[in-house]
Amino acid sequence: MSGNQINRRDFLKIMGWSGAGVALAGCDRPTTVTLHEGKEEVVSYLMPEEYVIPGVGVYYATTCQQCPAGCGIHGRVREGRVLKAEGNPDSPVNYGKLCQMGQAGVQGHYNPDRMTKPHIRKGGNLVEASWDEAMALLKQKVGPDSGLAGDRFAWFTGQVSGHQAVLVNALMDSLGSERHYVHEVVNNAVTRAVNKDMLGVATPRYRIDEAKAILSFGADFLGAGQSPVHYATEYATFRTGDRGVLMVAEPKMSLTGANADLWMAVRPGTEGVLALGIANELVIRHKRKIDNLPAEVRDLITHYDLDTTAQITGVAGDRIVKATQWLHSRTPSLVLAGQSAENQAHGYQIAAATMLLNMVLGNVGRTIVPGTELPFPQLAAKQGGTADLRAFAKAVEQGAYDAVFFYNTNPAYTAPSYMKLAEKLQSKVGFKVVLTQFPDETAKQIADLVLPLHSPFEDWGTHVAASSYDEAVISMQQPLMEPLYPTTRGFGDIVLDVLKMRDSDNYGQYADYYAYLSQAFGALSADWQKTLQTGLLKVEGQAQRINAKAVKVSLPDYKQNAEFPYHLVPSARLGLWDGRHANIPWLQEAPDQISKVVWDSWAEMHPATADKLGVSTGDYITVTSDQGTIETQVYVFNGIHPDVVAVPMGQGHEEYGRYAKGRGVNPLKLISPKHDAKTGELALYGTRVKVAKAGRSEALVRMGGPGRNEAQLGRKLVATVTADVYRRTEGANDVA
Amino acid sequence: MQTKDINEEIKWAQINKDVLRSMENPRKAYWVAVGMCLAMLACAVVAEIYQYRTGMGVADLNWPNMWGLYIATFIFWIGMSHSGTLLSAILHIIHADWRKPIYRFAEAMTTFSLMTAGLFPVIHLGRMWNMYWVLPYVSDRGIWPNFRSPLVWDAFAIFTYLTSSALFLFIGMIPDLAICRDNARGWRKKLYTVLSLGWAGTDRQWRHFRKTYLLMACFLIPLAVSVHSIVSSDFAMSIMPGWHVTTFPPYFVAGALYSGCAAIITLFIILRYFFRFEEYMTIPIMEKTCKLTFAIAMVWTYLNLIEFASTWYGHDLVAKEVLVDKFVGHWAPYFWAMLFFGSVLPFTLAFEKLRRHLPTMFVVSLFLNVGMWLERWMIVGPTLSMAYQPFAWNFEYPSMVQWAIVFGSFGWFGLLFLVFVKIFPSVSMYEVKEMVYHRRRAHVEDQAVAFHRRAGDGQPVTDTP
Amino acid sequence: MSLKNILENWSQYRRGHEQGGHHEYEHMWGMAIDLNKCIGCNACSVACYAENNLAIVGKHRYSKSQAMHWMRIERYWDEPELEKAGLVTKGKTIETGASFLPMLCQQCNAATCEPVCPVAATYHTPDGLNAQVYNRCIGSRYCSNNCPYRLRYFNFWSYYEDSWPEPLHMQLNPDLSVRDKGVMEKCTFCVQRIRVAKDEAKMADRKVIDGEFQTSCQQSCPTDAIVFGDMLDPQSRVTKLWKTHQVELGKSKQSKQNPDKRGYRVLEGLNTDPCIMYLERVREV
Repeated sequence: MSGNQINRRDFLKIMGWSGAGVALAGCDRPTTVTLHEGKEEVVSYLMPEEYVIPGVGVYYATTCQQCPAGCGIHGRVREGRVLKAEGNPDSPVNYGKLCQMGQAGVQGHYNPDRMTKPHIRKGGNLVEASWDEAMALLKQKVGPDSGLAGDRFAWFTGQVSGHQAVLVNALMDSLGSERHYVHEVVNNAVTRAVNKDMLGVATPRYRIDEAKAILSFGADFLGAGQSPVHYATEYATFRTGDRGVLMVAEPKMSLTGANADLWMAVRPGTEGVLALGIANELVIRHKRKIDNLPAEVRDLITHYDLDTTAQITGVAGDRIVKATQWLHSRTPSLVLAGQSAENQAHGYQIAAATMLLNMVLGNVGRTIVPGTELPFPQLAAKQGGTADLRAFAKAVEQGAYDAVFFYNTNPAYTAPSYMKLAEKLQSKVGFKVVLTQFPDETAKQIADLVLPLHSPFEDWGTHVAASSYDEAVISMQQPLMEPLYPTTRGFGDIVLDVLKMRDSDNYGQYADYYAYLSQAFGALSADWQKTLQTGLLKVEGQAQRINAKAVKVSLPDYKQNAEFPYHLVPSARLGLWDGRHANIPWLQEAPDQISKVVWDSWAEMHPATADKLGVSTGDYITVTSDQGTIETQVYVFNGIHPDVVAVPMGQGHEEYGRYAKGRGVNPLKLISPKHDAKTGELALYGTRVKVAKAGRSEALVRMGGPGRNEAQLGRKLVATVTADVYRRTEGANDVA
Repeated sequence: MQTKDINEEIKWAQINKDVLRSMENPRKAYWVAVGMCLAMLACAVVAEIYQYRTGMGVADLNWPNMWGLYIATFIFWIGMSHSGTLLSAILHIIHADWRKPIYRFAEAMTTFSLMTAGLFPVIHLGRMWNMYWVLPYVSDRGIWPNFRSPLVWDAFAIFTYLTSSALFLFIGMIPDLAICRDNARGWRKKLYTVLSLGWAGTDRQWRHFRKTYLLMACFLIPLAVSVHSIVSSDFAMSIMPGWHVTTFPPYFVAGALYSGCAAIITLFIILRYFFRFEEYMTIPIMEKTCKLTFAIAMVWTYLNLIEFASTWYGHDLVAKEVLVDKFVGHWAPYFWAMLFFGSVLPFTLAFEKLRRHLPTMFVVSLFLNVGMWLERWMIVGPTLSMAYQPFAWNFEYPSMVQWAIVFGSFGWFGLLFLVFVKIFPSVSMYEVKEMVYHRRRAHVEDQAVAFHRRAGDGQPVTDTP
Repeated sequence: MSLKNILENWSQYRRGHEQGGHHEYEHMWGMAIDLNKCIGCNACSVACYAENNLAIVGKHRYSKSQAMHWMRIERYWDEPELEKAGLVTKGKTIETGASFLPMLCQQCNAATCEPVCPVAATYHTPDGLNAQVYNRCIGSRYCSNNCPYRLRYFNFWSYYEDSWPEPLHMQLNPDLSVRDKGVMEKCTFCVQRIRVAKDEAKMADRKVIDGEFQTSCQQSCPTDAIVFGDMLDPQSRVTKLWKTHQVELGKSKQSKQNPDKRGYRVLEGLNTDPCIMYLERVREV
């Protein structure tokens, strides 16, 4: 990895929080310049703090919290301020690289709309309160004298891992609760279920770098995937030397699709048919042996001949033949299923069909290999999906809980409107605590108590990546600077305080979360200082074991819907993600990679569909499902199936600060109550909609102006060579 | 029908009387005009203050349309400045005496439009408070402007031209100022006394005067040509398609003469009407100016066609794209309007009946200048909006701030001109007398000789010969 | 640009870029961007915002095209070469994905922006950089008009209050200024990082080591598509890449021994002599 030599100088500067860090975590705060205390004062450098070197940036290692991938980062700190996040070259997740969301972490930290004080709901309004009041309320509601029954309490969080997950569990244990709902909109829950059933492990290691041909069914591994930076680094290897071929079949072009050699617009929900059709083609045309598959699966495959497949999926036959040819000739290959394929009402079947294709191609064990797992299951990432959201909504409706803690999640924004989650929470759950950094919808609309958290750059923690990589690591999160606001607190500290209320015997010994963590590391017999300096604790991982086992797949027939003729694709994008980054101005101003739209929502539409409706780019349309209507501007382009309307997630916030509030629309609100029978995951991509012209029009705000031309017009701007030429000239010995 | 350029029977005292009268007792219409100009100027000043304080963004300039109306209007005013002095100098050298009744206001127009034009490069600067950095003043840090930049050449050219044309205007006015001095009282007397530089009409003074004036005329002709050539280098020296054009210098000079001539016609008619200068600004002179304008219009049209042809048949695909876009794209309405006003409308000047009909000519001359303004906009706009990088193509829709400043510049020009005509004689008295004398002499030799003898005695002429 | 300097170094100033330019170059910072690896993800662009204090202009001003993206990713759909070769049907190019083009200041050695600046606010440094002196800039915007790549961005507004409301301003990088209204700005190849590396090398009495520092965009690029370095250092990665792909400085048309080599420079025919070489995108057809 080139990063090693490059950052040698930086390495010398990478520090852990030594004396100052400990002091910080204790009661007496060091007197650096903080926003409110010393902004106007001139601080003499004659008596500098230990870690403040005037004019010199110092790097601290920590872990990125912008998406669940858990990339290692180096925060550049100067004069007590964190300035920039850069990748940690040591991290096996991102190898020193960092995506735009990771870069933008500093703007989350310095966000002008942070929650800075505890708030208590009084008479329907959130009222500012002191921490004493807040803790008193917590004690009253969940303390030992509250009479809260264990099964009446639940956690509702985004993905958590490391010692935060341990604390979450500990709190449940102390209360006797067993319910921890983990909710992530951008997830691979169905694939995990399929993997569990067909491979024996939920998260095997995908070797994109080893593959010579990749067929992705909506798996946006370069964009809104499970670990975009990691897979992008593997993609670079995949593309060099004996360059691999990338094929993508999806209803709407994702960032991965935009990099494909062959991009196929597939009718949503028919990806499984395409996978089996290709398997059939492999058997018939290329004489692939499938004797190891069960007879019923073999029968099913023969059912999907080329014409049938082409007819059902809407992908032209010659494209299927071509894709099959590549998959056959270029081994090992890899077939991936992603959200647009698996988040259907029969998503499990589709994902299983793609895994069957992997088996036909013999990829299991070659590009789908056992990963390494952390030997401490209690630290492992608790990965989420939308099944938990459904289950939670149901439980709330039944009045199952008296107290719910929300952390690292914003269900009031992400829950489909049919669940009526906010109203139900308001009426059926007595005490809702939201631990959050920002005034999001969940905090503003449903919380009874809002506890303002430190930003990830001010807080302690440990993280374990959900995906499997070469090494098993525990990734450290440490404060990069003094908290901006004296009235925010760390997540671990708050949970520890609640734990102390209920179980002071076990937890009374820890002054704070820092003490807890350092002691926990002592128990791991890890060098605390060194871990803080590198930001990583590499541990001897346990190798996973893969046992391939084909399962029976049944794919339903494709049905038209006369009333709602179009499919809604609520696409996720690398940038705003599921909407959690809509309050970050850099990410609002960073154009969508494909449409180049900024600061707003849009609806992507095929030219043929647009012609039918009589709309063009910039016109407003209404998109209506059986759950409601949204109105947004059209972006017409070819990279979408004619039966599909794609509205990206991320905008349409009702709260969430100045940059997000009242901007664009939220397609998640339109989701119909459909779900995958096997896993219970919401069919996010299974909603049918109708589209109508709204009658108004204005310029869609995109990079460049209205006169922008997207063709090269004879200039050599992006020149192209064929892969054959590339392999001939650079094939094996690439100098870069 | 009037066929003679000037009434040869006119009395010299009458000339003085008519011209001096025009400088006094402003009528209501004059004050209305001054008020209008002040109001227009106020619009521009308010807009400029707003832009100065807030930033160039209020002009709705954008990436990559960085220049907008400001530079287009700058070239327009620079162009406007060309006819007065250049034509006056050329016609002076070739002894075309019909220039005499009209050159004074034309030269004033030159000076004032230059003073207007010079404002625009300043207005368009992002940090105008540092504009003096383009001048080669002595700096203790040894910092000079970038002499390679056409903008620096511009600054030199404009300053030189402004100085020279103002001097030319002033020198040509000295004998008249002496007449004014001898007929004025109060502050005017003081002013003209200073300005007339002790002119007594002596033989020696006349000799030096004639020589100086001729030299200035000779100097100004190449200078004027070079000034607009240099302005054209702002574009021609660049690398951009549609700007990087070899024919730009003559094209700009032709365009400049064209718009200047059109403006002379406009002002001719206005002055003739309001100051009752029918005796001096006669229809035959009008006709001559119109013919000249027509000739220049045809030269301009020809240079246009050359430019189109060389772009069309040239190998530069990008330049061709810009041209095609002018023909049929976003810019087509403005482009065809420019060609209509610039190349078709001047054919009205070819018809004697129309030429002699002042209201028609007034309207036509205004539209010719609209066409010439569009021409400048068609130079600046399309190339900026579309060049080499297609993804950066963009249009610009100028904001009210830009329009207000452009609008206000006409108020500023008008104001300067209005002040001028009430302080300085807008018709050259002594030269009209020369003209009358020469014309008359051509018919009545003897009389003229006698006249000449008397006129040369150094005394102000107060009586008919 | 003092008179004395001109007189004394007259012959040197007469040298065109083909003969090595009028500087005795200490460095020649250059770049190679591999479009085969670029996935158009925008990481470089946001990293540039973070490093270089780029202003956030907001939706309204963005709609007026007043954005400040020094590093922008252009996205084209057509593939002229493949279409010409009959490998792709015109109109079907979407089936082979998009064509991403990261555009940042090309640091031309014969930069068209430099000669037109009336006050010499943009000039060529002995590092081979096309420098922009904000303090000297008077905002005539001629440089932007004369940049064929359209890579210069103008501060149409004073962005300070709007872009960095408290406490966002605490993120600002103190190594470079926040530009006020009326000046032009553009990519600097992270000159503040170059400065630090040069100073450190000088203090240690050594040369700048290739890879000792990275530009912000290069550092964030997940696919390592961007390679940056000193082209006067024969051992640097970027020099080797230029050599391998047979692209040379000082030419308006490359004469390649092997025309299949992927290196090219955007709009090279204009003789701007850019210091960024792109490697052609690769497509399986």
